[in-house]
Amino acid sequence: MANQIAAFFRLQGDAAAVAGIEDHLRKYWDPRMRGQIIAHLRAGGEGLAPAAREAVARLDQGVQQTS
Amino acid sequence: MIRLYIPGDAAALAVGASDVARAMTSEAVRRGVDIAITRTGSRGMVWLEPLVEVETPGGRIAYGPVDAHDVASLFDAGFLAGDDHPLRIGRPEDHPWLRDQTRITFARCGIVDPASLSDYRARGGFAGLAKARAIGPEAIIAAVTASGLRGRGGAGFPAGIKWKTVAAAAGAPKYVVCNADEGDSGTFADRMILEGDPFALIEGMAIAGFATGANTGFVYARSEYPHAIRAFGRALDVVRADGALGAFDIKLRIGAGAYVCGEETALLESLEGKRGQVRAKPPLPAHKGLFGQPTVVNNVLTLATAPWILAHGAEAYANLGVGRSRGTQPIQLAGNVRFPGLYETPFGLTLGELVMGVGGGTASGRPVRAVQCGGPLGAYFPPALFDTVYDYEAFAARDGLIGHGGIVVFDDTVDMAVQARFAFDFCALESCGKCTPCRIGSVRGAETLDKVIAGIEVEANLALVEDLCHTLKFGSLCALGSFTPYPVMSALTHFPEDFRRLAAGSETRVS
Amino acid sequence: MIAMALGSDIDLGTPPVSSDRMVDLTIDGRPVTAPEGASILRAAALAGIDIPKLCATDSLEPFGSCRLCLVEIEGQNGTPASCTTPVADGMAVATHSERLDRLRHGVMELYLSDHPGAGIKTAIGEAARRAGVTEVRYGEGGACHAEAKADASNPYFTFHSSACIVCSRCVRACDEVQGTLALTIAGRGFASHVSASQEETFLGSECVSCGACVQVCPTDALIEKSVIAAGAPERSVVTTCAYCGVGCAFEAQMKGDQLVRMTPWKHGKANHGHSCVKGRFAWGYANHRERMLKPMVREAITDAWREVGWDEAIAFAADRFRTIQQTYGRGSLGAITSSRCTNEETYLVQKLARAALHTNNVDTCARVCHSPTGYGLKAAFGTSAGTQDFDSVDHSDVILVIGANPTDAHPVFASRMKRRLRAGAKLIVIDPRGIDLVRMPHISATHHLALTPGTNVAVLNALAHVIVTEGLVDEAFVRDRCDLAAFQAWAAFIADPVNSPEAVETVCSVPAAELRAAARLYATGGAAAIYYGLGVTEHSQGTTTVMAIANLAMATGNLGRPGVGVNPLRGQNNVQGACDMGSFPHELSGYRHVSDEPTRRLFESLWGVALDPEPGLRIPNMIDAAIDGSFRGIYIQGEDILQSDPDTHVVAAGLAAMDCVIVQDLFLNETASYAHVFFPGSTFLEKDGTFTNAERRIQRVRKVMEPRNGLADWEITQRFSNALDYPMTYGHPREIMTEIAALTPTFAGVSYDKLEELGSIQWPCNADAPEGTPVMHIGHFARGAGEFMLTEYVPTEERTGVRFPLLLTTGRVLTQYNVGAQTRRTENSIWHKEDRLEIHPHDAEHRGIADGDWVKLASREGETSLRSLITERVAPGVIYTTFHHPSTQANVVTTEHSDWATNCPEYKVTAVQVTLSKGPTAWQTAAEAQNRLARRIVPVPAE
Repeated sequence: MANQIAAFFRLQGDAAAVAGIEDHLRKYWDPRMRGQIIAHLRAGGEGLAPAAREAVARLDQGVQQTS
Repeated sequence: MIRLYIPGDAAALAVGASDVARAMTSEAVRRGVDIAITRTGSRGMVWLEPLVEVETPGGRIAYGPVDAHDVASLFDAGFLAGDDHPLRIGRPEDHPWLRDQTRITFARCGIVDPASLSDYRARGGFAGLAKARAIGPEAIIAAVTASGLRGRGGAGFPAGIKWKTVAAAAGAPKYVVCNADEGDSGTFADRMILEGDPFALIEGMAIAGFATGANTGFVYARSEYPHAIRAFGRALDVVRADGALGAFDIKLRIGAGAYVCGEETALLESLEGKRGQVRAKPPLPAHKGLFGQPTVVNNVLTLATAPWILAHGAEAYANLGVGRSRGTQPIQLAGNVRFPGLYETPFGLTLGELVMGVGGGTASGRPVRAVQCGGPLGAYFPPALFDTVYDYEAFAARDGLIGHGGIVVFDDTVDMAVQARFAFDFCALESCGKCTPCRIGSVRGAETLDKVIAGIEVEANLALVEDLCHTLKFGSLCALGSFTPYPVMSALTHFPEDFRRLAAGSETRVS
Repeated sequence: MIAMALGSDIDLGTPPVSSDRMVDLTIDGRPVTAPEGASILRAAALAGIDIPKLCATDSLEPFGSCRLCLVEIEGQNGTPASCTTPVADGMAVATHSERLDRLRHGVMELYLSDHPGAGIKTAIGEAARRAGVTEVRYGEGGACHAEAKADASNPYFTFHSSACIVCSRCVRACDEVQGTLALTIAGRGFASHVSASQEETFLGSECVSCGACVQVCPTDALIEKSVIAAGAPERSVVTTCAYCGVGCAFEAQMKGDQLVRMTPWKHGKANHGHSCVKGRFAWGYANHRERMLKPMVREAITDAWREVGWDEAIAFAADRFRTIQQTYGRGSLGAITSSRCTNEETYLVQKLARAALHTNNVDTCARVCHSPTGYGLKAAFGTSAGTQDFDSVDHSDVILVIGANPTDAHPVFASRMKRRLRAGAKLIVIDPRGIDLVRMPHISATHHLALTPGTNVAVLNALAHVIVTEGLVDEAFVRDRCDLAAFQAWAAFIADPVNSPEAVETVCSVPAAELRAAARLYATGGAAAIYYGLGVTEHSQGTTTVMAIANLAMATGNLGRPGVGVNPLRGQNNVQGACDMGSFPHELSGYRHVSDEPTRRLFESLWGVALDPEPGLRIPNMIDAAIDGSFRGIYIQGEDILQSDPDTHVVAAGLAAMDCVIVQDLFLNETASYAHVFFPGSTFLEKDGTFTNAERRIQRVRKVMEPRNGLADWEITQRFSNALDYPMTYGHPREIMTEIAALTPTFAGVSYDKLEELGSIQWPCNADAPEGTPVMHIGHFARGAGEFMLTEYVPTEERTGVRFPLLLTTGRVLTQYNVGAQTRRTENSIWHKEDRLEIHPHDAEHRGIADGDWVKLASREGETSLRSLITERVAPGVIYTTFHHPSTQANVVTTEHSDWATNCPEYKVTAVQVTLSKGPTAWQTAAEAQNRLARRIVPVPAE
């Protein structure tokens, strides 16, 4: 699903796409789901599109900063 | 080569015109004579059909009524040279019945080959359309209005005013619809034009279309006219191939046997593919007609007369006639009449002159007792009213109508109570069923007259019939119901004795 | 409360006219003013002069057949009918005279001669009395229709031909109002009679049982069977239909406490007096023997149900929920609100989740239908709702229907649309299937783009490509109303040849020329409106499709006035309302994100609890979390997720994994087989509240009878909340609405008092729009500048292949509603007894399938079986079925694919194979056996 989201934002350019994906994940994904995808990234993030990977990485940083 | 003219008109066919034509051909072959036969419309002298005409140096010479068995004797007598024979009529235009007519609408009918555009043109065809194109829509409408031409379908509404309304109506496309659903008993003028001079109608529709801004015309013909449908269809093919109409096109549509579809709004419904049911007016068809668009709906005769008016000028037409009834009326004499046929004459003769003079009285030789004018919904006139002038207003003043120009003659054996009952029956049979007075009233009328005829509470039931006629006359949606009282009430008024035969004490009905 | 005496509505005889010019005339000497074009009959009625009439009624165009309303007009001959004669300046009309009175007497005497038994209570009896007919002089023994046979074939109404006066009202209603043209007058003259289709029975004809004919019949010729059985109703209460999102206003007509019939309310602003077979007739489920009336509990779903009292059931449920939360934390519970319940009930359930359970784990069935609409339209325009009212369609010149089947799913609105189409508006249909609208009497779509399922975005992009590259953009609108930079970026994207019709043709199977022609028509044909349904949203690119629709409308300036707009056709009666009320896990009422502090603070201060600023779980996420073990209990109000949600096996596994499933419903639905607590619900007839329809119209639902289950749904939620120690003390739903208005800016002006006053209100309703907002985005968009979005076409991952070579898409039929819980329990099943699989003759032939054969439908998720229906409505390679019957359970085969933004399932595209089968599959047999077990009930012990 993260890749589907990434596909929607693809044409907006890299920076905007990453920001768009991150914003969408924050607004619509329950923390538990965000935790799961962060865990997936940390485990290598197999199959994640580049922009999605970048957005999840940013989520991860946000989690680390607040915690 | 000698040219013969034999009508292909349905009335002539009905009495063997095609047998005669075939007999002529085989007799000519047998005798080694070179003849050519042109099938024409009818001259309208129905009692003389089949009327065979021979082209001679001195003009056409007519013989009739010709039977196939007469053919050999005609050849023997030298009819191909116009020689004498017991059936010889002479020059048809010299026959008093034709000579005394003023043929405008029927000027070409019975003379020309209805499928020949060159014949048509040679006899003045398309002069009206040419004139129309030269003067333009406004002037056309002014001319038709000035001519005093009124709707010949029966309502007698001024044609020019109708055209003007359609021309002024907003909306496109517009349509010209020709009402050729000629259903009145004893009438056949529309059929004769369709069969004998279809180009006149086509030209008239093109003029109406040009005047009102319509590019499409529809002819709604009754299914009971197969010959007319064929003849008109052929004429349409010819005129299309010729291109004489320009952008204007005409479509031929066939009805499904309902009298009420001769009523203009029911006709429009039927043309639209719906059940033939009367529409409430307003809106007028001139504003919202076919498919909701501005539409001219005119009778065959009205439209077929327009070319003459354009070609000869409004004044020439308006100079004929009497009162507000201008021009000529093609009158159709039928029923028990000695000389049945089509008689076109300016308005103004008396009913008596028409029935006794032109028609020669009854065919049976018995005294005339009643004539019904204007179709099955027209009033019965007794001889006492034979001084009535043939004129829309004069007829209306005597609770009668001219209608589509039909006159049906009855001799003294007629039972007018039965005729009155027939009027209700006709209404019941042909009612579209939309409005209550016509739908239920027609049936109740026939039932009540049955009681009268059986002598049951005659006066009370006649009073009820009179009430019913009031309801029908003012309450019906269209002319079918509202005109049914004409034959009923005229029979009651002029022939009261026929309704009281049992009531008067006699045990059995006379006649 | 709008409770009225029956028959108190004045029939003005002919429909209203829209004219600003007024004309002055006199009627019976009284000066009267009426709008130009109005009939004399209507002008007189408005002035309080009642001209007798039988064939005229103000819902139908005048016809002029009964000849009772005849009048005299000074200066005119004759007696014109006042229904067909328009008023004119200076006209002097007389409605009575010796002649007119004699005429009416004559006409009524004729009517009575054919209907000797017509009682004084019927319209003919009444008209005869007014005309002074005391005797019928025609006597007995004449021709008469008294022996004409009755037609009782329709399950809901009977046609007594013997009582018919052939006024054609029924025929005209079928033509003009419903647009089905199933009725006609056959025969002529005295033999004229009403005929369904070609002299068939009503049931066997094309009749769709909308009831319009019954509604207008002035005699007892067409009459509801319920009236024949129960007798004439005595009083009526105006309420709102609980079926689809059209939101028809009805009169519930009562005799005592018994509902006798539902009749469409002529003043209802959504339906204007029209109805469909569901709302009009299919209300018998309320009394169906399977209706559950007692609360029930059980320890495990393998146990039989135990009937208990309300207190015990609620305590049992609260106890379980508390235990779960103590063990697994706040996030382990959730709730699902119902878009079939009222706004107030929905609001209470989400409040219970957020305030009593302290979680944002609340979702609603819009998740599986229109959630992409909310997301997409909010992004484009700033409001998660359709832009127009229904009346807007009367002003449309071009109507584009995409992924919707209005004649089946939104029949009353479809009738309005059809009327406009018959009047000349052009129609573009984008649908894989030849829906009825494509070709029906007097309607023919100018373009039917029969696309391959799953290619909506490609097609819409191609249309936009034509508009941009052929210079058809409404530049002034875009400049004034939209974000110009976003537009330019979009225009550059859409102009790329990859979006051209010629490139897209191969993807969507629609010829490029058709795409171009349709685009030109939409852009240049005048006022163009888009109507769409679940064929747009239920895709992996559902949200993108909604955005692409918004782009099209903005680029052509088709927004912000009547006749245009973007119009989602909502599936359920209150799906709009359920979304408005904060049913989604990420937002509070009025579509405000839970992360927004000021909003949260507003709620926190009123509710007295702290709210979670993080979004909660959506339905599919809840199921996944249940399987993971972190989600343990759910409170489901009025939704059957097991039947309606995709991938049944997964949903069943999730439900089975939970410790406490609470189902609140009218019936023991499929989901209830996995439930531990059952709260019997109340019907819409048994409670007060409001529904919000697809045009944002808030309408009252009024209680016409006491809840048979004892409590209205809102009362159940309230008691449950109290048992969870979060107090709720509402005395009436109006108090809940007051709270909603206080918390929600778009509802700020809404109150029950105002609803009584105005009849209905379209939100936003606040200080800026005190009487509501029929058409949105006039002058400017709610979000400011309209936002164009890049809508790249991304094919779904669901692909056909060797194993699953066909594409399955799903839909509905007219007579059944959604999962059929209500309609299957009415006589409606006579029309649709089972779900059938529509398959093209080529595909059937290839597989040796004959019409009516049992076939197995299999996808990689599962398989089910049903009977085939061979039809060219579907293209080769595409098959179609409905999902109304649990025995079919089409969702066994649908997949886990869903919309990227909202998780809305991809119901409309599943790769499948179809093969001949001998009957139900193993799954169907097992499910049936399990349901039998799960539905065992031990009655409540006598106390």
